Amino acid sequence: MLTYEPDDTFAHRLDPRTKLAVQIGFAATALAHPTPRALFVLSALAGLVMAGAGVSLRRTLVAYRFALLVLALAPVLSGVTLGAPWFDRAAATASGLASYRVLLVLLVSAAYVRSTPVRDSRAAIQRTIPGKPGQLLGIGVALVFRFLPVLRGDLRTIREAMAARLGTERGAVDRASTIGMLGLSRAFDRADRLSLALQARCFAWNPTLPPLAFSRADYPVLVVAVVLACSAFI
Amino acid sequence: MIEFQSVTHAFDDVLVLDDVSLTIDDGEFVLLAGANGSGKTTLLRHCNGLLTPDSGAVRVDGTPVEDDLIAARSSVGMVFQHPRDQFVSATVGADVAFGPENLGLERDEIDRRVAAALAAVNMAGRGDDRIDALSGGEQSRVAIAGALAMEPTHLVLDEPFTGLDDPARRSVLERLASLAADGTGVLLATHDLRDVCELADRVIAMRDGRIVVDGPPANVLGDLDGLDVRVPSE
Amino acid sequence: MATNQTSVERVDDAVVRSFARAAVLAALMGAAAVVGSIPIPFSPIPVSLGVLVIYLMGLYLGPVWGPASAGLYLTAGAVGLPVFANGASGIGVLVGDSAGYLWSYPIAAALIGLIVHRGTALRDLRSVRLPILVGALLAGTIVIYAMGTAYMAWLLEMEAWEAIAAGALPFIPGELLKIAAAVAIVRAGRITSVRP
Repeated sequence: MLTYEPDDTFAHRLDPRTKLAVQIGFAATALAHPTPRALFVLSALAGLVMAGAGVSLRRTLVAYRFALLVLALAPVLSGVTLGAPWFDRAAATASGLASYRVLLVLLVSAAYVRSTPVRDSRAAIQRTIPGKPGQLLGIGVALVFRFLPVLRGDLRTIREAMAARLGTERGAVDRASTIGMLGLSRAFDRADRLSLALQARCFAWNPTLPPLAFSRADYPVLVVAVVLACSAFI
Repeated sequence: MIEFQSVTHAFDDVLVLDDVSLTIDDGEFVLLAGANGSGKTTLLRHCNGLLTPDSGAVRVDGTPVEDDLIAARSSVGMVFQHPRDQFVSATVGADVAFGPENLGLERDEIDRRVAAALAAVNMAGRGDDRIDALSGGEQSRVAIAGALAMEPTHLVLDEPFTGLDDPARRSVLERLASLAADGTGVLLATHDLRDVCELADRVIAMRDGRIVVDGPPANVLGDLDGLDVRVPSE
Repeated sequence: MATNQTSVERVDDAVVRSFARAAVLAALMGAAAVVGSIPIPFSPIPVSLGVLVIYLMGLYLGPVWGPASAGLYLTAGAVGLPVFANGASGIGVLVGDSAGYLWSYPIAAALIGLIVHRGTALRDLRSVRLPILVGALLAGTIVIYAMGTAYMAWLLEMEAWEAIAAGALPFIPGELLKIAAAVAIVRAGRITSVRP
């Protein structure tokens, strides 16, 4: 699985906002230009980004294997025709290039995921998105991070308990609704306890924000992000 | 100082607090005993305005709680059952910082308070630990640190020993004793008084929403029969 | 005291309660994407319970906090939490082949919430008539698959029928199952969206 890994690469030292900008610029121009020439340049850039973040190509491909399956299937589906000539090469090529650009965008976002801890992302959200939505999204991301393993544990426990009680012989609807109901009621119990703790600890709209500052290395990378974003409109 | 003045509270027409009057001084260590459903939790949640009285008043340091919830909630730190569901961050230090951040303190002051609160619960230097990786007793202590970082005059705990084994229970108790020795008032709701009586200045017991026992432990232990409270054996 | 407490803008307690439920359901959605799939008869694809959670967001959180919860789920995945299908994450997924489905989630949750609650104030779900409930869930499902397949067709330069064959048809039995499951959860009436 693709997650943050502590390291000291160039990307790890960048401000999370810079890295978000690069991804958005990259995705914009990749979506706008599914041409062989543009994709050649973007491939080189994606390689640089991955090297800068110490991302392993093989592990990233494994992490995105389900998306890759669809990306590989799309050109085949596009190419196949119901009747002569049975395979339309132009359609398959167009779809193949379109799929390839998506792969590049995925690889670049893997660099962000590997090099950015959740607290940095939270800080970036709180400092970039103004007002109340930014505060709720920032704290919300921290809460999802905190509760994800807890709720995974809940779902596992529920499934194991069902299996122990001959759950595999019950109907699929019955099983899905039991998991859903137990999962939801436990989640709400936890949420209601959490809300008491948030209130008791003075949850506020205007807290001291987590520290975050651009360093010298960020500025040239930000320029690259802007150039990428602008090139989407060429 | 926390003052209850003829406080009444009902849920769906069931009287849960029935004309409760009570004064808790700064620095007092008070045990709140009673069976499930006797009104302990409801009483505690009036101390910082999580609930408001149907009639009567609750004052913290002379100010009615609902007039300044921020002041009440920073003066009265609260720790609930199930510490697992009270954390807002996945790591210890970020979680303990949540309260002081909401108060809008300077970063240096926040860092100082986090370090002091962690030291007070014997978790100094553990700020980067994942909360999920902690034992039950450690999680309880981090939850207490989260309340202490608000620098409260009173610490209110609702059955903090649920689910803890004896060594973990002792580790939490020992920290509470040391906090009390340093002048923090402690209000501890529990139905198990076996090893906490020697710490307490005062024992209050509730039944059916009323205070039925109130006095120093040595004087009142004999009056707790029939209240579903475990008392120290001779 | 050193704190400048008068300037603290407290989040209203009612907002905190809804927000906590929205955040925890977003995490439940992420947990379901990884551990929540169950095999179903006559289909090669196991059913992920993720969309069931989207239904529950619309039903139990309503047209405001339901989409907020779904939006929080997308944000958490974008910044690297492993909450998308099979533990994937990253902004790339939000423009990738399944992006249309993901972006449809807040809209579907809002639509379900609006139809069922007829406004922003939450109603008791037990008072909602069955045809309205099923209609709301079907409408939400149609939004999810319409956006999902349309975006896939555009992104990967496929014909509409190709995208529908790859991105919708195989999932129909599973979606009907999840609608039935959501209806069963509501009808059991054990969980309330309206608090005392």
